[in-house]
Amino acid sequence: MELADRVVGFLLSFISLSIFTYYTFWVIILPFVDSDNFIHKYFLPQEYAILIPVCAGVVLLCLLCMFVGFVMLKSKKKKA
Amino acid sequence: MKHVLKIFSLLVAISGLWIGLLQASIIPRSHTWLLPIYFIVSLGCYGLLMVGVGLMRFPTCPQEALLLQQDIAEAKYFLKQRGVDVDSE
Repeated sequence: MELADRVVGFLLSFISLSIFTYYTFWVIILPFVDSDNFIHKYFLPQEYAILIPVCAGVVLLCLLCMFVGFVMLKSKKKKA
Repeated sequence: MKHVLKIFSLLVAISGLWIGLLQASIIPRSHTWLLPIYFIVSLGCYGLLMVGVGLMRFPTCPQEALLLQQDIAEAKYFLKQRGVDVDSE
């Protein structure tokens, strides 16, 4: 039981650390690198660095609002 | 209400700092525009990291679990003697 918990915890922290390093590299270090360096192949164009978090945030907000509305509707139906 | 005021003042301070950075232009302009998004993403990452670390270090206390089972068996026996049946599956 606790081994499954440990594996999930380790996976979560690994994902978060990798996202953090990739994003740091993308936003902060890459603009200082020359334009024809080989490292630019591994990173998407810089517009996506803004687009992806904004889209993810909007989707998260939508899901949250839908969830809240759903719960409110369900509680109102049960009371009536 | 006071907690909301604290959070709001913190947000105002951080945005003031950001606008000040924009004006003073110590860091190159393109970096300063990307700073808020960077901080939000890193905050989300930090939260995920804390959840993962907490999951990994969660204590299970196997001795306490054993003692708890013994307590449950004892309580069931005690209540059965008094006529209450709590052993329903």
